[in-house]
Amino acid sequence: MRLHRFLPALLLVAPLAAQQKIDRRIAIASDASIRIHNLVGSIRIVGWDRDSIAVTGSIPPGAGSFYMGGSGRGAKLGIERQDELKEGQPATLDIRVPRNARLWVKSASASVEASGLTGELECSSVRGSIRIEGSLRLVVAESMEGNLNVAGAMSVVRLKGGGGTITLRGARGDVLATTVGGAIVATDGAVTRAHLETVSGTIAYDGTVSPRGTLDVATHSGDVTLRLPVDISAEFDLGSFDGSILYGLSGKGEGKGKGEDAPKPFRGKPISFTTGAGEARVIVRSFKGEIRILKP
Amino acid sequence: MTCQELRARADAYAHDTLDATEAAAFEAHLATCEDCESALVALAPTPPGIAGLSRSIEPAADLWPAIRERVAARRERSARIAAPRWALAAAALLLVVLSSGVTAVLLTSRETRGVATRDISALEAEYSAVSEDLTGALEQARSRLSPETMATIERNLRIIDAALDETRQALAREPGNAALGEMVVAAWRQKVDLLRRATALGTES
Repeated sequence: MRLHRFLPALLLVAPLAAQQKIDRRIAIASDASIRIHNLVGSIRIVGWDRDSIAVTGSIPPGAGSFYMGGSGRGAKLGIERQDELKEGQPATLDIRVPRNARLWVKSASASVEASGLTGELECSSVRGSIRIEGSLRLVVAESMEGNLNVAGAMSVVRLKGGGGTITLRGARGDVLATTVGGAIVATDGAVTRAHLETVSGTIAYDGTVSPRGTLDVATHSGDVTLRLPVDISAEFDLGSFDGSILYGLSGKGEGKGKGEDAPKPFRGKPISFTTGAGEARVIVRSFKGEIRILKP
Repeated sequence: MTCQELRARADAYAHDTLDATEAAAFEAHLATCEDCESALVALAPTPPGIAGLSRSIEPAADLWPAIRERVAARRERSARIAAPRWALAAAALLLVVLSSGVTAVLLTSRETRGVATRDISALEAEYSAVSEDLTGALEQARSRLSPETMATIERNLRIIDAALDETRQALAREPGNAALGEMVVAAWRQKVDLLRRATALGTES
């Protein structure tokens, strides 16, 4: 009778009591290579100025077991599951790593967040979102379905999506972003070399292109909107097989309308022209998406 | 240059879009790093040798025989691959290297500019063969992928296939249109890349 009275409370407490808490640290070189593996739940990585890895987190029952090992120049850690095909319970990992480390991260549906890093990060997920902030030398991120969000002046960025949106903020240097149905949105860009490509997703780029730099954009059916400085010095090469082109930076617009924003429907043959000294290159290709080159 | 940097820049190197300093660093690293050489070259049955690829972004006419040889060798080797997981992984890696090699050499839109229609047909045949092999590898890996993952992959493939059909139909109507040829090749490249990534999901870890 007494037990019956407390049963609801016991049922509530039991899973909490079984939850495994993690609090582990190991020493590691400042530029060590670290592999991180957690398929379901979340992975949060923060760079710090210590030569060590610190992991906290929680693993619910049935989510697998935590492992961590390594020293010196390499380490690996993560959640090992008995059956990686089953989604299972989400495990949470909160990881501090040396800022300059080289990281390899794998997830299935777990979200990944990384910040404060200056080294290299290679991150792959199937459905999880990936969010990276900082100024890394190299970022390589792939997610079939999750959103990819990268903010900061990375030297080299390679992003491959599928159905999720790719968002770039403050992109500099060398950028490659490709996706299938997802959109690509880049703001505050000043790229040296960028290739943005979708199949059906829209592409929006707001920023500039470095002198002697290249912005190369391609899509099948997504609309493309580039917002560039009015005084950009660039060679333009624009082509859409079955979509219209709208050039709104100066009097270059051609076609039915008059003035700056006159749309120019055309088929097949690209339009090429130069503004200023033509220092940068802007190339856009589309099958049936609309191309708009607009003021900021 | 680190190993990761080199691998991330492989396409750019093959496309001749690295600046001189980066290209020199790439070559210097590749000359001394067995791991990278193995990753980029040794897995191919007839090693294309990234370092030996043309620096020109224009397709070289005499590149075709080499591509054909490699694809033929791949098919022979694929036929010998058995079902075990390690073998599947090897097959997938092989296809990844081959598809990357094909991609690196010939199949970016920029590289196909100005390519004659007959060359587009040849490119399509090569892509189709690689795509077929990767589809087979993905089918074998299906049991190691969750239903949700397979659904995601198949949804993306349908989008690409629709784009491919549309551009191919347009090219059939206007066979001399080089821009359409580029788009057909771009759609194939997307398809092969997606299949490569999907197959890797089922074979790694």
